[in-house]
Amino acid sequence: MLAGRAPPGAADCCRRFLAAALAAGLRPLLCGLPPCWATARRAVGQWPSPGLRVPEAAEAERLVQQAQRTGVSLRRFIACPQLARTVQRCLQDGARPGPQPVLLECAPGPGILTRTLLNAGVRVVALESNSAFLPNLQSLENSLDGQLKVIYGDFFRLDPLVTGTVKPPAMCSDKLFETMGVAAVPWRADVPVKIFGIIPQKKERNTLWRLLFALYECSSIYRYGRVELNIFISEKEYKVLTAMPGDARTYQAFTVLWQVGCEIQLLHMEPWSSFVTNLKNGGLAVPKSTWLPNDHLCLVRLTPQQNLFTRGLKPTNAATFIFMVKQCLAKPKSKLTDRLNSWSLDNGGKLLRELEIPKKAEARNLYPEDYRRLFEALQNSSMFTETWFHDDVLESIRNINL
Amino acid sequence: LSLSCLPLPRCVQQMKSDGFHVDELFQKCLFEEDEKDEVLRAIRTLHPNYQLPPPPKPETCKSSLLQDFYSEKMVSYPKLDFSVQELQERFQQQLEMELDNTITIESVEATRPLTPEAIKARKLLGTLRSRWHDSILQALQKSKHNMSKLKTASGYNTLYPYLCLLPDEEYVAIMLQILSTLSPQGESLAVLARELGSKVYNRYVTQRKLRSRQLEKVQEVYKDYIHLLAKDGQPDEYLPREYWEKLVAEAGFGPSLNLKDCSWPYMLIMRLGMHMLELLVQAVKVPRNILNPRLEPKLIPVLYHIYSFRSSWQVGLIKPHPIFSQIVSDAAETLLTFNSSAIPMLCPPVPWTSPHFGAFVLNDTKLMRFVDGAVQHQLLLEQCPPVNLHPVLDALNQLGNCAWKINQPVLDIIISIFNDKGNEKLDIPPPISEAPRPPAASGSSSTWNKSQKHELLLCKKKAAEMHSLRMDALYKLSIANYVRDKVFWFPHNMDFRGRTYPCPPYFNHLGNDVTRAILLFAEGRPLGPKGLDWLKIHLINLTGLKKKNALQERLEYANEIMEEILDSADRPLTGRKWWMNTDEPWQALACCMEIAKASRSPDPAAYVSHFPVHQDGSCNGLQHYAALGRDLIGAISVNLMPCSVPQDVYSAVAQQVEEFRKKDAEQGVKIAQVLQGFISRKVVKQTVMTVVYGVTRYGGRLQMEKRLKEIDEFPEEYLWEASHYLVKQVFNGIKEMFSATRDIQNWLTESAKLIAQSGRTVEWVTPLGLPIVQPYYRSKSTLNCGMQNLSVKNSNSNQKPDTVKQKNAFPPNFIHSLDSTHMMLTALHCLRQGLTFVSVHDCYWTHALTVDVMNQVCREQFVALHSEKILQDLSEFMLEKYCRYSHPCHAPSCLHPPLLLGLDVPQCSV
Repeated sequence: MLAGRAPPGAADCCRRFLAAALAAGLRPLLCGLPPCWATARRAVGQWPSPGLRVPEAAEAERLVQQAQRTGVSLRRFIACPQLARTVQRCLQDGARPGPQPVLLECAPGPGILTRTLLNAGVRVVALESNSAFLPNLQSLENSLDGQLKVIYGDFFRLDPLVTGTVKPPAMCSDKLFETMGVAAVPWRADVPVKIFGIIPQKKERNTLWRLLFALYECSSIYRYGRVELNIFISEKEYKVLTAMPGDARTYQAFTVLWQVGCEIQLLHMEPWSSFVTNLKNGGLAVPKSTWLPNDHLCLVRLTPQQNLFTRGLKPTNAATFIFMVKQCLAKPKSKLTDRLNSWSLDNGGKLLRELEIPKKAEARNLYPEDYRRLFEALQNSSMFTETWFHDDVLESIRNINL
Repeated sequence: LSLSCLPLPRCVQQMKSDGFHVDELFQKCLFEEDEKDEVLRAIRTLHPNYQLPPPPKPETCKSSLLQDFYSEKMVSYPKLDFSVQELQERFQQQLEMELDNTITIESVEATRPLTPEAIKARKLLGTLRSRWHDSILQALQKSKHNMSKLKTASGYNTLYPYLCLLPDEEYVAIMLQILSTLSPQGESLAVLARELGSKVYNRYVTQRKLRSRQLEKVQEVYKDYIHLLAKDGQPDEYLPREYWEKLVAEAGFGPSLNLKDCSWPYMLIMRLGMHMLELLVQAVKVPRNILNPRLEPKLIPVLYHIYSFRSSWQVGLIKPHPIFSQIVSDAAETLLTFNSSAIPMLCPPVPWTSPHFGAFVLNDTKLMRFVDGAVQHQLLLEQCPPVNLHPVLDALNQLGNCAWKINQPVLDIIISIFNDKGNEKLDIPPPISEAPRPPAASGSSSTWNKSQKHELLLCKKKAAEMHSLRMDALYKLSIANYVRDKVFWFPHNMDFRGRTYPCPPYFNHLGNDVTRAILLFAEGRPLGPKGLDWLKIHLINLTGLKKKNALQERLEYANEIMEEILDSADRPLTGRKWWMNTDEPWQALACCMEIAKASRSPDPAAYVSHFPVHQDGSCNGLQHYAALGRDLIGAISVNLMPCSVPQDVYSAVAQQVEEFRKKDAEQGVKIAQVLQGFISRKVVKQTVMTVVYGVTRYGGRLQMEKRLKEIDEFPEEYLWEASHYLVKQVFNGIKEMFSATRDIQNWLTESAKLIAQSGRTVEWVTPLGLPIVQPYYRSKSTLNCGMQNLSVKNSNSNQKPDTVKQKNAFPPNFIHSLDSTHMMLTALHCLRQGLTFVSVHDCYWTHALTVDVMNQVCREQFVALHSEKILQDLSEFMLEKYCRYSHPCHAPSCLHPPLLLGLDVPQCSV
């Protein structure tokens, strides 16, 4: 049987009827409708639910196990329909009325969430890096009328820094966006694309750093505007992301930079055990954490700030801002004045006075916004125009992009 | 404190009741200055007829491997071509150099003409330096004053006494020296702090040796000691160590020549260094407008502190301001300042007689090198009965007593290329002026696009690499140039596994092709009947050609290309340049020149040659395993068994793997079919070589992947699978050929794992009696300093061992220790045969005349070493050490060695 239950709360009764009709093999009828009908539906970004069957968790697990190939690094999947529905609701939560941007689902694997999203009427682009999952996804793509697009590629190997040809599944973002049919919009415009993914644990911090650099440089995916990330990250990383000033351990340069760059929303928390891994023994491979809680994966929404590039911060000088924050917070308990002085800058004290930052302030005590103000003041004080500082900035970019 | 006011009789009474004899005062105590005489005088006020105890009888080492060596009466110790008088003068020169602590020499770049800008920049630098000197002195005095006023002891003012050991001026000189050697790319804080701290420590030790009058005593003994080495000296039936000990005993110095232990904990050295570094960063400033008068005249610090981020950790760096680097580079100063211990010794080294005494006259040198604050090996050496160390000490003395000189024609050619544009292909680093320039981009760097930034980064990286290579070569060549007319010596010490190293760090025979090519034995020997042939074979070995051919064929090949050889020797830079296309071009050139001279002399056999001829070990690690496991096939392929053609183990393994592949391919294994035609010696070489040193499948696969990637035709999509398959087959191949190797490795690893898990460190004793402990510990503590916190290995005795490292490193370390044992045995027996011998780990050097003798000694000693029950002894040692408190039958069975079947000790040919 092909038909499944329509996802609860997904649609009105009209659409439920349509789904049933489709399930009953009335697809030719839909295709036969005048084209303006479909266009009208698409205009509001809402698709009729195709009423796909969503496989049960056990079946999804089997699919994952089958697709496993030696040499593929650890991946985590949503296998349980319940979790898929939760995620789907989270993703649609808070959406403004009107046309919805396309949703890029990274590494869908067995496609449980994909089907749930499609049933909820969302237009999905599935970006899958494991060719073993592709046939299933592609046949799904072919059974639908443009609501799903499947692309072979790896979101976490986007825009590799190595020179030479890019070998799939690694890919360039401009190719990805071209295939998706998404054009760049100005920074202050609405979100052009939503992205969903589970960050691979092994490179979690690295991936987030790369995204951060891309965000501040307006490069890679952020060249197309304020792309909204909806990503599962480990709880410990979430704690760092949302740490408050004063905490010498969790409040890091990483924290400051994300908080300046994005609005951070926690959408959902889910225990590690709800996910399926591609490990042979079916293990969960929960990363260890010594001093932060780490019982969940957290679904976090990172929406770039509309006003990020105002008041002196520009994509061209943002690397210096990142460098400055990292240098300051390398020793969180050090006094800010000492830090400024150690850079051969001589009027650090005066600068802090003007910003009304206390003389004895430690690096960990400054709010993200304070760092932004500090940077703006430095920009204006001609100190950063000394070229030698730029070398170190460049150096730091290279180190992170490796 | 005067002895006369002590209640003397009560003291002596107390000693007696505690079970001590008065004699022991003079046998076991360390005395400084004239303490010994004072004590003797005091004792004699009580017992007027007291006589000093006779010096202890020298003990003889009982190791079965060295029975002949120590029991045979010494054939005369080889004499140097110097008179007593000459050696005495050289000793004075060396002493003066060491008393100065540092030495400043002209660099080889000094011959370049001086530009007007350079003159101007030098003058500027001179003024700045004198200003910096004053401000550093001021900062130092101020910080000392602040410390002295603090009443409570804190981490901060515990440094106070250590800042009062030397005159203030000396601290300032040390800091200025660090400043002038700082590279434009900067240096990590930890490295700089350690350097500063150790420099203070070294000067302090020199002071102590002077004040305690230890130096006087050393001088006195050395004066007599050189009679053993001088051509007009009398005594000759002693080893250097024996003779030194005899002289010390005769002079009645006893143990007073050893200083009381005064080494500083690693933490202290780092803390002191960090404090000095902070002073330096604070005090040294430069007017910002010094190069650009339009800027406002403001003082800015010369050094700045920033962090560099490497994945999960951060490293603090001290970088010089570009203004400073600019002035230094404009000034192009041609004076280099080194620690006196960086220069080869100008007289024969002081022989090693104990773990703390030997090598340089004043510079503090440890018998075993220091590993990040570990002290366990030092304690172990101290507890070890001195007689057990004799073979090791004697071997080190033998290596250090080899006199060297410079091959001047080769040095001159190298310097001429170095001062011209360098030559990367010939390994002569070009000057920075030859560095690639980033493409000129418009606008400031902030507006560049990604690829421009990337290109700029690559240029900067290249320039940084070039700078460090250039400086390294500059140091080596300048030192070589400084000693170009002298005869010099490299004192040796060893690492914790017993591998030996020359102490001077930059210029020594362990260096690269360039440095090796400019070294000659100071002693010359006639070539003899076969010497010229050996020179030719040596030349072919240096080219890297004919690896699989017999020695005779190599010789024939050399004779065939004689014309090329002579052309290279006569017109090295203008001729056909055959030498430039060899594996080791500079050594090849030097060898060509020697062959030319020898073959043109009227009687080549009588030609006196100073040229070192090398004999390379072929995969020594596997040789030891093959011998330990008594493996026949393995033994043949690593040349342990007699065979007409030198065997090449890498080719043999490649062949074996190819056979496996064929079988699999026939059975339809896809990846085996894909790999057809790709398996070669080159693909397997690195993995085979590193198997001995414990490479895992994981690491092996990565190596394979790299090799396969280098092959353009290899289909990329199969990389992972193919490398995975290959590493499996290489391991199988080795298992097949060296059946026991893996078993022995597994046993060693397993034993080390059990030992480490029980919270102890892995220890063993080499067949020569050297105790070894693996210095891998976990604990790291943080050193809190104002500028930055440093993570420092702490050195206390209750450190927890690093289980993983203890386990994984044991097999390779054990094999290294066997290898060094074999080297030392060869060195000692070569000494008995009267030949010159030095080693670069598993590559042995001697005169062309004596190659055959050396080869024979080497083979004999390999057989002798492996005739010992090495694994049995190791097992017994471990059971005794680690299972002493458990019932024997409870001892973990895996501490017993694996059963070994098969061969007797193989014969061998190296």
